[in-house]
Order: sequence, then C-alpha cells, then structure tokens
Amino acid sequence: MSDDLPASLPGQSDKVVQVDKLSKKYGDNVAVNDISFNLTKGEVFAFLGPNGAGKTTTVEILECLRNPTGGQARVLGYDVSKRSDQAEIRKRIGVLPQDFNAIDRLTVRENINYFGAMFKHQLDADKLIELVDLKDKRDEQFKKLSGGLKQRVGLAVSLVNDPDVVFLDEPTTGLDPRARRDVWGVIERLKSQGKTVFLTTHYMDEAEYLADIVSIIDHGQIIASGTPDQLIDSHGGKKTLIIRDAGEEGLKQLPPGLPKAELRNAGDIAIPLHNGELTNILMSLGQTPLRDKEIEVRRPTLDDVFLNLTGRRVSEEGN
Amino acid sequence: MRSRISTIISGHFRSWYRSKSNIFWTIAFPLLLIVLFGAIFGSGSTRFDLYLQNQDLNANTPTPYSQQYIGVLNDTRAFNLHIVAAGQNVSQALDFVKNDAKVHNRGQRLLVVPVGFQNELITTKNANISLYIDQSDQASQSLKGIVFAATNSYASHLSNSTTSIIVQQQDLVTRNIRYIDFFIPGVIGMTLLTTGVFGAVNTNGRYRELKIIKKLATTPLSKVEWILGMVGYQMILATISLVVILFFGYAIFGVTVTIDIYTVGLVVAASLLFPGIGMVLANFVKEAESADAAANAITFPMMFLAGTFWPTNALPEIMKAIANFMPLTYINEGLRDALIYAEPAQALTNTLIALGLAAFFIVLGSVLMNWKEE
Repeated sequence: MSDDLPASLPGQSDKVVQVDKLSKKYGDNVAVNDISFNLTKGEVFAFLGPNGAGKTTTVEILECLRNPTGGQARVLGYDVSKRSDQAEIRKRIGVLPQDFNAIDRLTVRENINYFGAMFKHQLDADKLIELVDLKDKRDEQFKKLSGGLKQRVGLAVSLVNDPDVVFLDEPTTGLDPRARRDVWGVIERLKSQGKTVFLTTHYMDEAEYLADIVSIIDHGQIIASGTPDQLIDSHGGKKTLIIRDAGEEGLKQLPPGLPKAELRNAGDIAIPLHNGELTNILMSLGQTPLRDKEIEVRRPTLDDVFLNLTGRRVSEEGN
Repeated sequence: MRSRISTIISGHFRSWYRSKSNIFWTIAFPLLLIVLFGAIFGSGSTRFDLYLQNQDLNANTPTPYSQQYIGVLNDTRAFNLHIVAAGQNVSQALDFVKNDAKVHNRGQRLLVVPVGFQNELITTKNANISLYIDQSDQASQSLKGIVFAATNSYASHLSNSTTSIIVQQQDLVTRNIRYIDFFIPGVIGMTLLTTGVFGAVNTNGRYRELKIIKKLATTPLSKVEWILGMVGYQMILATISLVVILFFGYAIFGVTVTIDIYTVGLVVAASLLFPGIGMVLANFVKEAESADAAANAITFPMMFLAGTFWPTNALPEIMKAIANFMPLTYINEGLRDALIYAEPAQALTNTLIALGLAAFFIVLGSVLMNWKEE
C-alpha cells in the first residue's frame, strides 16, 4: 500500500462510514442537504425515510456511483470523491442495489460465481448459498425463483467478496411478509457474524427490528438519529394502554379520574400512560366490567416517531 | 482482468444458449431463410441469361442478317438476352459482362456477332460467331446446345444446306454467381447485424433496468472490461453464425467460399460495429422495451436496403444513396467480395470502411454508456 493512504484504514479506525455535511444537488433540486452521520464497525445502521427522501442518493454516493456536490464522505477511511480511493472502496464493499435482479438464465450458484469473479478474492459460493438458505435452489435458474428467493440471491451476491461493509438498499421492498422475515433472518445472521451493515428502508418495523442505529431522513435532511429505543423515548410519545373491542359502551364504563381516553377505529379504547400510572389504572379497571376485556400496553414505534417528527405517516409503498 | 472479461463472456454465452429464442434468431432463422430463399430463387429462371454483342452494324444500325439471327435466338424463348454496346472490343465487352453479371446475379456468357457477319454470309456463305462460356458453368452444355441449334436453324433458313455458321466456343474462366451464392454472405451480414445490435441493446438496456450494471459498477470491474467482454462474446457468436451458415450453405446448396483475412477482418469489424450501434441506442432509449423497438427500427430497413436479399445496385437511385450510409452495406459487400467473388481489392476497401465505422460506433457507444449513475 502507498504512503498517502488516508489515516483511518480498516482495522485502524472503528468508523466504517464517515459522512460530514454531505450534499447532492441536481440543478436546483437538492436531493441530499448537508447531512452528517457515522457508522461504526459491527453495527447495523438503518437509513430510514420515505421514497424520495435522499436515501438511495446517499448510499450511491457511498458506493462511488454518484459524486457529492458538497461535503465529504469516507468509506473505510477512503474518500468517495477521489478516483484512486474509489478503486479501494469497490474492492471492500458489498452492495445490493434497490430492485436488483441477477442474470436470468444463470443458476443461483453461477450468479454468485459470476459476480464473485469481479473480485480478486471471493468466498465459496456454496457457503454463501448455505448462509442465505438456498441449498435446494442452488442449480435453479434465477428467473425461476420467487421474489423472496431472488432477494436472498442478491444478498449472497452482495457478500461474495467478504466485504468490510454491506450496503443494502431497500432489501425487502415489494416482498410479502414471509419473504421479508426470511430476508431479515439473513441480515440477523450477518449481524451475528459481526458484519457492518448499512441498510436503507422505508419500513419502520424493519429498522426497529434490525438496526442498532437509525437515522431518519426526510426531504434530504436527517431529522433524528439514535438507537431505536432512544428515538422512541425522545420522539415516540407515551405508551398507551389498549382495551380491545370495548366500543362506545366501554368508554362509559371507564372509572373516573383516568387520563383522557379515545376510541380508535376497531373499537379499541386507548388511554395514554404516564410514568407509574399503569398499576393504578389496572386496579381501577378491575372494578369495572372492562376487566373481562383483552388489555395490552402498546409501546410507541418508529412509526410514531416519524409521525411526531414530520406530521405524517409513511405508507406501505414508501410514500 | 482477463478472468473478469472471460466471466462476462461466459455469462453472456450461457444466457444465450439457454434461450430457445436466441438460438432460433441466431441459428435457426438464418438457416430457414437460406432454405426458403434458396428454394424460391435457387433454381433460377427457366431462361438462360446471355449477353450479346452485335458488332455487325451498318451506319450504327444492326445489319438485317445479324438482326434476323438475333431474332431467331430470341424466338427460342430460351434466353434472356442482355445487349452489350457494339463499340467495345472483346476484352472491354468481357469486363462489362463480368461486372454487370455480378450486379444482377447472372451467369457470365457472351455471344459476339462479329463485324462483317452479313457480308460473309452473302459472299462466302460462311460466317463465324463467338460464344464465350465457362465449361464449369452448370448451364453451359444446355446453353451451348440451344445456341448451336438456333444457329443451324438460322443458317438452313438462309439457303438450305449451303450456308454454314460456325459457333466458335471461347473458354471463359468465371464464377457464375447463383442467387444462393449471393444470398449466403447477406444472411451472414444480417445475422451479425441482429445478434450484435439486439445483443448490445439487451445486455446494456435490460441489464441496466435489472440493476445488474449498477451492481457491476460497484465492483472492481471497469467499463472497458465490460465492453471487451461484450465484444468478445459477440465475436464468438459471429464465428458460430459464420461457420454454421457456411456449412449449411455448402451442405445443402453446394456454396463454396474463400475464407481469407478480409473475412476475419469483417467479422471482427461486425462484432464491434453492431454492438457499438446497439450501445448507442441503449443509451438514448432508456427502457429496455423501447430500446428493442428502436433496434427493430434500425435493423429492419438496414436488412432490406443494405444488400442482404438483393443487390444494392438494383435499388432505385434514392435507395441506393441511402444504402451507402448503412454500415451493413459494407459488411455485406465485403463478405461477398471475400467469400464469393474472391475480389481482394474490393474486399479490402469494404473491410477498411467497416473497421472505420466499427471504431467510430464502439468508441461513441463506450463514451455515451453510463457506467456510473451520474
């Protein structure tokens, strides 16, 4: 290696991704506006936001597919804007582009070997096939696989060079719930192996389930960052006590002195919980006919965080 | 680098042979065309093409005897007579016949009615006419027989048995081009065109849509390696097409060819030129489906105007002018010059033009191709 390599080389710094005041403009349109964040080795980092928020633009800058128009970004200590550094980055990262499809008429194994041959060193295809649980489909042509299985091939392909960091751009978009869970399973396995994962998603539950650190991006700007718990604690609002299927009648049966309850769409009664109130409320409900209803305590989610921060929810399609 | 390029080539090749429609369009379709066109036009006309030069003129008008003789030949209904200007000497006339026959896919056969034909018949009752013919020409024996019979019939018509007209046979070494001989290089050119343009449109348009190119751009693979892989694959495909079509042409229709350095040059040129055009198209038309339509819009007119099915010289002037701007014209004509006519000088010219166009399009396609997302 040459002497003028950046100071923070792999193994010498825990900062796998360093982004500082990064911007990207297309004419007058600002896709990414002055964002900063870091990703530490071994973390699963979720970049969470609706479609068009600037997630893919950011990740593609980090993958050296786009050039930033302002600020700085380093991956594994290498500057994404420098041509010579880009070559080093490409050797060490794994990428699953959004909506990626492998080559239709190659088998799962052939596809993994195809993309593996682009690198000097590649992992054994069979081990990757095992990791993504596709042993039975090893010799099946890619075009014959279901959406979920295709995405698992994409994951295997993104790991073929044993990367120091894996960028997964919307890895579960368009998949059915079961296929999404399968993909989550693979990402969990990566996490347990200590892989650093940069994940973009518009699914709040996905970020909450998988990520160690979440940055929420909207209109090109990061509006909140932290662990899912930190974000929920600081922006999610209060826990809620839910009384299932109580209806209008239930509202009338509530004992006096409780916080203001509301009736939700399915006939559930929601009562906001303040610290230390739960036991008292449950005891008073025990004195009413509502004691026979199903009762649960609902913790706020990242959905609530996003709603509280932006005033809107993100739809299933990401809009 | 070599391993990456060979992986690209083998990936394309595997995808190719696993697709029935690819096999059909690259191999079966050209062979089907050869069989169809060979069957329709291969047997040729029931009449023989015969060039005729009447040198026996009087004040620039054919003498009555020579005119009557030609009338007798015509009456046999066995010949399509093509007139050669009287002012040319024999060597000029043979040159004209050679070129004109090539343009129109006719046999090279020339009958010369000499100066003084009428005079000799009146004064000596003996005259000679010359028939230039190639003994190896499959039609030569039948044609000769009919010319002899017609000539004798005319002589006896003149004055019973006292007049004699001798047909002097002059041997000509020619390559009589049948339609199928003409067509085979055209089919090769057409196949190189379609596999090259559609191959590049598919790999660059569809692979971009499927994000395969985006994925590859995040690996150490460079744009140059990707293009070299694509061109290498096209060369393998072009060689397979060439070998299969030539073998088939020989086995079914007895088409023999000369494979030389120009053939190789033209295959190399086509393997760069047509994928280059495909890359340019794929760049301008972003959606794979539209790119396919654009590829059809480019390849179909080229197929019909650039001398695949019929000679460009047979086209109306305006079409002929358009054909000159079509890259396939130079591949088709070059392949014909090299494989069939064995005309190295013309093959060289066409090869050089094709290589020049190939360099232009592959460089343009490479420059325009978006490897990164900018």
